[in-house]
Amino acid sequence: MKSAITKFTLLTALLMFGMTSFLSAQTEEYKIDGMTFGMPEAKVYTEDYNGSPVVGEYITQAPNLAPLDYEGNKHHEVRLDIIVQEVEVASGVRYQAWTFGGSVPGPVIHVREGDRITFTMKNRSDEMVEINEPMSQMRVNGKRAMGPSDLSAISNDGDWTSTSPFMKQLRENNFQKNKAGIMPMPHSMDFHAGTVAKDDKWRTVGPGETITFDWVANYPGTYIYHCGTPSVLMHTAMGQHGVVVVSPKDGYTEDYEVDREYVIVQSEYYLTKGDGDLYQFDFDAAYNNDPSHVVFNGHQTILHDQPLKANAGERVRFHFSNNGPSGTSSFHVIGGIFDRVWLEGHPANEMRGMQTVLIGASGSATLDMIVPEEGKYILIDHEFVDAEKGATGTLKAGPRKK
Amino acid sequence: MRSQTNIFAFTIITFVMMMLFTPEKASSQSVRVLVPAGSFHSVLPEVEGEPIQVDSFFMDETAITNEQYAEFLRENPEWRRSNIPPIFTYDGYLKTWKSDLEPDYEEVGENRPVTRVSWYAANAYCSEQGGRLPTLNEWEYSAQLLGIEDEAEMNRFSSKLISWYSGIDANNLPEVGSTGIETTTGVKDQFGLVMEWVADFKPIIADEISLDCGTVGRMQTLNSVYSYAASIRYITRMSFNPKITTGMVGFRCAYDESDRSDQTKHEVTL
Repeated sequence: MKSAITKFTLLTALLMFGMTSFLSAQTEEYKIDGMTFGMPEAKVYTEDYNGSPVVGEYITQAPNLAPLDYEGNKHHEVRLDIIVQEVEVASGVRYQAWTFGGSVPGPVIHVREGDRITFTMKNRSDEMVEINEPMSQMRVNGKRAMGPSDLSAISNDGDWTSTSPFMKQLRENNFQKNKAGIMPMPHSMDFHAGTVAKDDKWRTVGPGETITFDWVANYPGTYIYHCGTPSVLMHTAMGQHGVVVVSPKDGYTEDYEVDREYVIVQSEYYLTKGDGDLYQFDFDAAYNNDPSHVVFNGHQTILHDQPLKANAGERVRFHFSNNGPSGTSSFHVIGGIFDRVWLEGHPANEMRGMQTVLIGASGSATLDMIVPEEGKYILIDHEFVDAEKGATGTLKAGPRKK
Repeated sequence: MRSQTNIFAFTIITFVMMMLFTPEKASSQSVRVLVPAGSFHSVLPEVEGEPIQVDSFFMDETAITNEQYAEFLRENPEWRRSNIPPIFTYDGYLKTWKSDLEPDYEEVGENRPVTRVSWYAANAYCSEQGGRLPTLNEWEYSAQLLGIEDEAEMNRFSSKLISWYSGIDANNLPEVGSTGIETTTGVKDQFGLVMEWVADFKPIIADEISLDCGTVGRMQTLNSVYSYAASIRYITRMSFNPKITTGMVGFRCAYDESDRSDQTKHEVTL
C-alpha cells in the first residue's frame, strides 16, 4: 500500500518551498496631497465562517444611511459575503440574484473621507445562506439571538462586531422577500471608492474562498461597488452592485444643515421568464441595452410602497447613484428643483438650481432639495422609457413643522 | 511577477502530485466516444489564420455520475471525503454526500453528474480509468461540434447557453444524458448540465488576459454570440483554483487515441 503520509509530507514540503516564491514585495504606504496610497497585498484564503453575511456598524439597507457618530477618522472592519438569494424585483417577478450581502442593490456602506477600510468577502455562492432565519447570527443586547421570536427584541445597542444594521433592517423590512439559493460562480469586488491595483485587490475568488484587503476612502462622494468578474455585464445585471457613501470630512456646505438624507440607487434588470416560475438573465436584452425593469433601490415599486418621508420646508439630501450596468439616468423630482448638486458627491463640484441631473453608468451625485409644500413628489428618471420600466419613487411631504 | 511564480509553483506541485497519486488500478464503466481530429477557433489569442489543431481522442459520452464516482471511492479509499488530504481540496468536497461512500441519492441522484470534486480528484478518477482529463482545447473543440449550420439558430442556442451560465441550479441538476444537447460525434451534455474540469483550465495566458470589465470584449474574437458564451465559460474556469469544489462543476475523462483498440473493446463490452 502506498503510504499516504509519506506522500503528504513530501507534498507539504514541496508546497512550503513553493510558498516562498509566492511572497512578493509589499508596496510601502505613502501620501500625496494628504491622501493615502500603497495598500498591503490582498489575501485570498479559506475560512470556517458561517456567520452574518454583512458585518459593520455603518452598513444599512437603502434608502437608509447610518449616521457617522464618531469624530475624525476611523478604521472600519467591513464584511460583505457573496450569497445567492431568490428576490422579488417587481410584483410577480422573482429571480435567483447574485448578491453582496443578500439584497439588490447590496448594502450601503457609510464612511468618512480619509477612513480606512479592511474589507473581507467570502464567496458563499455555493452555500444556502438563510438571512431571515435562523436568527443565530443576530445579536440581542450583545448576546446571540436564539430564534425568530427574538426579532422584536433586537436592539441597536451598538454591538455590531458580528452583524450589521443592514441585517436588522432587511429582516424587519424584507421587501424583496428573500429565499436562499445556490449558484456557485467565481466573483470579485471592485470598490470605485478605492484607489488600488485591481489585479491585486479586485481579484476573483472562487466559491468557498475569502479575500481580505485594505483601502482608504481618499475622495469624498458616492461610489458604486460591483463585481468585476467577467462577464461584468452578466455579473452586475445579476445583482452584484451597491454603493459606498464617503462623506466629506468638512461636510458639503456651511450654509445649512440637511434634515434628512436618503440613498437612492438606480439599476437595470434584464430578465425573461425561465422554464419554471422564476425569471432569468436575458442575454439578448442585456446585450441590446433593453432592460426589462429599471428600478430604484432594487424593486419596481418599493419607493411607492414605502415612500420617502419629509416635511414642507425641510432640506432633503439624496445620495443618488446610477449603478447601471449600462443605462444613463436623468434624475429629476417632479415638483422640485435641486437647490445644490455636487456631481459625484465631491464638495468641490457644486452646481445650483438644477432641474435634472444626467448621471452616467456608475456615476453619482449628491443632491439637496428644499421640499416646497405638503404633498407628493415623484422621483423619476426623466428618460421616460426608464420611468415607465419602473425608475420612479415617491417622496411624501407632511405639513411644515418649523 | 507574482502570477508567474504562482503558475510555476502550481505546475511543479501538480506534476509531482500526479506522479505520486496516480492510482494503480484501472476499471471501465463509461461509454467512450471517438472525437475525430480537426481544428477550431478558440476565444483565446491565436496566430492569425491558424486555427487550433486537435488530434483525435476518445471522450466519455456523458459526465461522470455520482454512482461512478462512488465506485471509484470504493476502490480508492485515499480519495474518500474523510481521507483526502486538504492540499487536494477545499472543505466542500462531496459535502452533500451522506457519508464517505453514500452519495445520498435522494439529494444528488444516482445518475446525476458528480459535483463538488476538486480538479485533483477529477484527475485521479480519470487516471484510474486509464484516461485523463480532456485538455482545454479537446473539450472546447468537441463542444462546438454541434452541427448547427443556421446562424440565427446558433445565436438562439448561444443566448440560451448564456442564460444557463447565469442560472445553473446546483440543487437540482438533471441526469446525465438528459439535456438533449449532443455533438455530431455523439458526446452529450457538454452544455446544459454542469461546467466541467479540463486538464489545463488555467492556461498560462490566463494571467495575461486580465480579468476585468473589458475581458469579454477582448476575448470575443469570433464576434458571435457563441464566442460570448465561450468567453464566460473560459473566464469562469480560469477563475478557479484546483482545490475548488462547487456544485456546478463536474467532469468527464478523455483517452488517447493510441489506446484505440482497448477503448473500442470497452465500448463493445458495454
